[in-house]
Formats: sequence, C-alpha cells, structure tokens
Amino acid sequence: MNALSIALDSIWTHRLRSALTALGIVIGVFAVVTLTSLGSGVRSYVTNQFKSFGATLVTITPAMPGAAAKRQPGRFQGPPQNVPSTLTLGDTNAILRRHSPAIARVVPVAILPIPVSATPGGSSGLSVLGTDQAYFSAEQLAFSSGKFTGNGIVLGQAAATALFPHVNNPKGRTLYLGKTVLTVSGVLKSTTGLTNSANHTVFVPVATGLKLAGLNNISEIVVQAKSNQSVNQSATTVTQVLDQRHPVHDFAVTKNSQMLTTINNTLSTITVFLSGLAAISLLVGGIGIMNIMLVTVTERFKEIGIRKALGARDGDILIQFLAESVLLALLGGAVGVALSAIASHLIGKIAGFPAGLTLGSVGLATGFSLLVGIVFGVLPALRASRLMPADALRTE
Amino acid sequence: MNDTEQSVVIEAKGLMRQHGQGDAAVQAINGIDLVVKQGEMVALMGPSGSGKSTLMQILGLLDRPTKGSYHLAGKDVSRLTKGESANLRGRRIAFVFQGIHLLPRLSAIRNVELPMVYARFSAEERQKSAQESLARVGLAHLATRRPTQLSGGQAQRIAIARAVAPGPDLLLADEPTGALDRASGRAVLALFQQLNQDLGLTIVIVTHDPLVGRHAKRIVELEDGRIITDRPVDDRILAQNAAEVGA
Repeated sequence: MNALSIALDSIWTHRLRSALTALGIVIGVFAVVTLTSLGSGVRSYVTNQFKSFGATLVTITPAMPGAAAKRQPGRFQGPPQNVPSTLTLGDTNAILRRHSPAIARVVPVAILPIPVSATPGGSSGLSVLGTDQAYFSAEQLAFSSGKFTGNGIVLGQAAATALFPHVNNPKGRTLYLGKTVLTVSGVLKSTTGLTNSANHTVFVPVATGLKLAGLNNISEIVVQAKSNQSVNQSATTVTQVLDQRHPVHDFAVTKNSQMLTTINNTLSTITVFLSGLAAISLLVGGIGIMNIMLVTVTERFKEIGIRKALGARDGDILIQFLAESVLLALLGGAVGVALSAIASHLIGKIAGFPAGLTLGSVGLATGFSLLVGIVFGVLPALRASRLMPADALRTE
Repeated sequence: MNDTEQSVVIEAKGLMRQHGQGDAAVQAINGIDLVVKQGEMVALMGPSGSGKSTLMQILGLLDRPTKGSYHLAGKDVSRLTKGESANLRGRRIAFVFQGIHLLPRLSAIRNVELPMVYARFSAEERQKSAQESLARVGLAHLATRRPTQLSGGQAQRIAIARAVAPGPDLLLADEPTGALDRASGRAVLALFQQLNQDLGLTIVIVTHDPLVGRHAKRIVELEDGRIITDRPVDDRILAQNAAEVGA
C-alpha cells in the first residue's frame, strides 16, 4: 500500500513499456560499468606483468641527435620512429666492461630483415631477432627443449609450429635464413602477456645475424638492473658510458617502470574518456524515463484526482511517482550491472586478463541509476503532485 | 425537525468561482449563500452548466473559491493551504462520484482503506473500519474482489463504504446514480437514506435527476451560478419515495 508497492504494481502492469524504458538505463549502466571494469582489469594486468619482471629493465633505443635534451624527464614518449640506429655491439661491450654493481645483464637486440624458412628460398614471414643468451633470462623466457648456443637457432613456440607443422620437437632440424643453413638448438615454452611476441620469433646469435643481414648496428640494448632499487643507478651508468661513445647523444634511455606509469596514465585517461561517452547513453536513458513518466502522469490524471479527493497530500503523490521512476532506473541499473558482469567475465577470459566487476564500478552504477531516476523523475512527479484535484477528476 | 439545536456543517457566504481570465472569464458560481446543518440530506439540482458541480468541488475543498467565505464545521476553510485541505479531505469530507472511481488495481477492501492510509490511521484501525464499513453497505463478502469483478451498483456501494469508513462529517455525492441502472440507483439512494438516518451523516447530493432529488429532505436549485429555490421536501413525498425504494 505504500509508494514502493504502488510503484512496483504500476511497473508490473506496464511490463513491456517499463522494460523498454529501463532499457536505456540498462545500456548506459552496462557500458559504463563494463568499460571501467575492463579499464581497471587491463591496468592491474599490465601492472602485474611489469612487476613480475619488467620493472628492472632499462631500454636504450636510437634517437635523433640531441633529442634527449628536449625529452621531458619522466615521460615516455613512445618508441622513436625511423631513426637510424648508431648503437653497436661495441656499446654493449662497453657497458659490460664497466662491471657496474647495479647492472645484472646487458643484452643486445637486433631486428633482422632476413627471410626464414624450412625450405630453401622460402619465407615464413616470421620476425628474426638477433640477441644473446642473457636475453632469455632478462625477458624470463623458458625453454621447452634445448638451449641457446653460439651458433644455433631458438624458436618461439608458435614459430616452431609454423615452420615444422608435423614435427613434435624440431631441435636438430635445419632452417634457411636467406641462403644460409642453420640448425635449431632450442624451442621456447609458449608465453602470454607482454612477452607474447616471443612466440612468433626466431632467435639467432646476434653476431651471426648481423653478418647474415649485412648490418653493423643493433636495434636496441636492454639492460637489467640487479634490483628495483638499482634501476636509477643502472640508467645513470648506461648514460655515462654511451655519452662518451656517442657525443651527439643519439640515443634514449627509458626505464620500464616509467613506461608503466605512462601506460597506466594513458589507460586511465582512455577509460575515463570512454566511460564519459558511455555516460551520455545514461543521460539519454534518463530522458526516456522522464518521457514515459510524463505519459504515465497524464494517463493517470483520474487516479491522481481520486487519490487527492481521498486525502492524498501533494507529497504523497510526489513520492508515489518519484518511487516509480527511481525504481525503474534502479531495475535498469541492476540488469545493466548483471549483463556487465557476464560481459567483462567473457571478455577477460577471451583476452586473458582478469576483468571482474569492481565494487567501485557497481557503486558508481547504483549511484548513477539513483541519480538519473531522481533527476528525471522529479519533473513528472512534481507535475502530478501539483495537479488540482478538481482538474484531475474532470478528465475522463 | 428542530433545526436550532443542530450544529452547522456548511456555512458559505457569497461564494464565487471564476474560470478563465479576461474576456474568456466565466463565473461558474456567482454569489452562493448556503447553510447546511448536521444530519441534513440536501439535493443540489439544476441543469448542466448551472454551477452545481463547481459548488460541490468548493464545498469538498477540491477547488477554491475566487471570492467569498466558507466555514466547515465552524472552521474557516476558504483560504487553506493545499496540504491543510488535503488533511480535511478523506478525514472530514468524503466523496462519491458519478461512474466508477475505485482504483482498478486494488481490491475492494484496499480501496476502502485508502483514505485512511492518507489520513495516517493505524493498520489495525484501518482494517477494522474498512470491514465494518463494508458490512454496513452489505458487501463484506466481496472484500477481496477487484473493481473489475464487481457490478456497477456493487462498485458504487463499495465507493460509499470507502467514503464513510473514516467517519466523515460531510458526504458529497456527484451524480451518484448517473452511471447506474434504475434498480442499482434506487439501492444506492436507499443506502444514502439509511446512512443519513442511522449515523446522522450530513449528505449533499448533486444531481439533475428529479427522482434522486425527491429522496432528499431539502432541494436547492441552481441556475447560472445562483440559487433560485431552496425548499424542504414534503414528508408525504418522502414517505412515498421510501415505499418506492423499498419496492
């Protein structure tokens, strides 16, 4: 008999209409909650990935001469593009010769434009990376068989399958790198996440690779610090060494931890932006509620008249109609949250990262629905409550 | 009838109600003086457009007069706030309308309880009064029916039960038999007479049906927003009507 049961009864009486009205809120809440859940899922996933291994890495990449001076400290500005590399194996060795207590590993990495195939003259489209033993430890890549040797090839899991579709363990098989024949010495375990490009990569010893490709320069140098605390010391040491060898300063030193901050900031910005866009659909949903509530009030002039004649105060009528719009919005919000829980679970499963509902996003959705129900319900409810009973009763 | 000892329920002086503004302004009622005492049963009669419905709405605090004063049971109610008049409606004044004015989604007894919900009766009081009131109109057995499961006459008697349940001082009925067949209409009129006699309930019926008018103890006729006649009904006619209703 109270406002809530009257509202429930009215919503139930016009089931289809109520469902369609609430649909706007369902979609709005679904979009907002799903996007924020996915956003925070991706963020925590990236953070965990970095925390597990990447945080101690410092990457040296080619840069425009003098560009480092213009680079703002503490800001990652994306990988340099189309900058000819002047980094060499000599640079790698120079850093190693420092024997800095802060540095655990120094790894040369060369992206090599060499076609690789199981048959002479063929091309698999797989990328070829020239590096050395330390790379696999630094990137935490494990071998399913064999190991990296001074003259053999290591295959990523997917690369092994692509090159030798019918071979269980391709270790000892031969491959053509251009015209040169090399023997497979090891295969990596499959990997996920930030290092998953390793799956599709063919690894060769860096000196061999550079000779085959006819190159003198490597693409980047990866330095692993001994601990999180020695990352800054490592970066300083590396910069000192390379400044001597590259007086024009045509290189950039990037700490992965600083990349993490940048990525997180970017992800947050994208999440907020997309949620903002999604919130517009909530607004549209709210207007839908207002529209239907106005129709409902008009339809129920007579009922309002009867209730007022029987002693209902303006406040009683206001609460009755407000309860209906709030209830509609909350029901829509609940369905939206439920759908969002299913969707983010599925997306997380497919994409391989944990994306559950966060308490925050559910709270946000509930708050939003409540707000929409009240804001867009007030006008129709006020109109209903201010109706003069004599006018309301005259409507037949 | 010894009028001097009875308290005054309605005392209206110079009531006016204007609809619209300027050139389009219409005086629905134009200077009405009316006194109705406790226990009276008055018929407000007149052709359509004579202002009788407007007068009833003002007497029932559903509408406000543009001019004039109105005392209900000794209290000046012509300038009440909306909230104050809402408080008096339902508790002190009850309505019976033409046609079915029950809420279709509520059972008969819930409909009867409704004014007491708004008057903040306790649940216990509400149920007790509602059951007594349904018994009074002889429809206690239909308490759980929905209005759609009732005949027109039954629905109107439920509406009367709803009107009297909170124990009002004044019952206002607007064409209460207008939508009913003759037999049901007579039953409703008999019920009004019974409530008037048993409870001493003051009843004002708006009607243009002369038969209904003749069941009242007093007939007030309106034309063009003014009272043109105000006379008691002959006891002989009343007796004859009572016989007619009983038949």
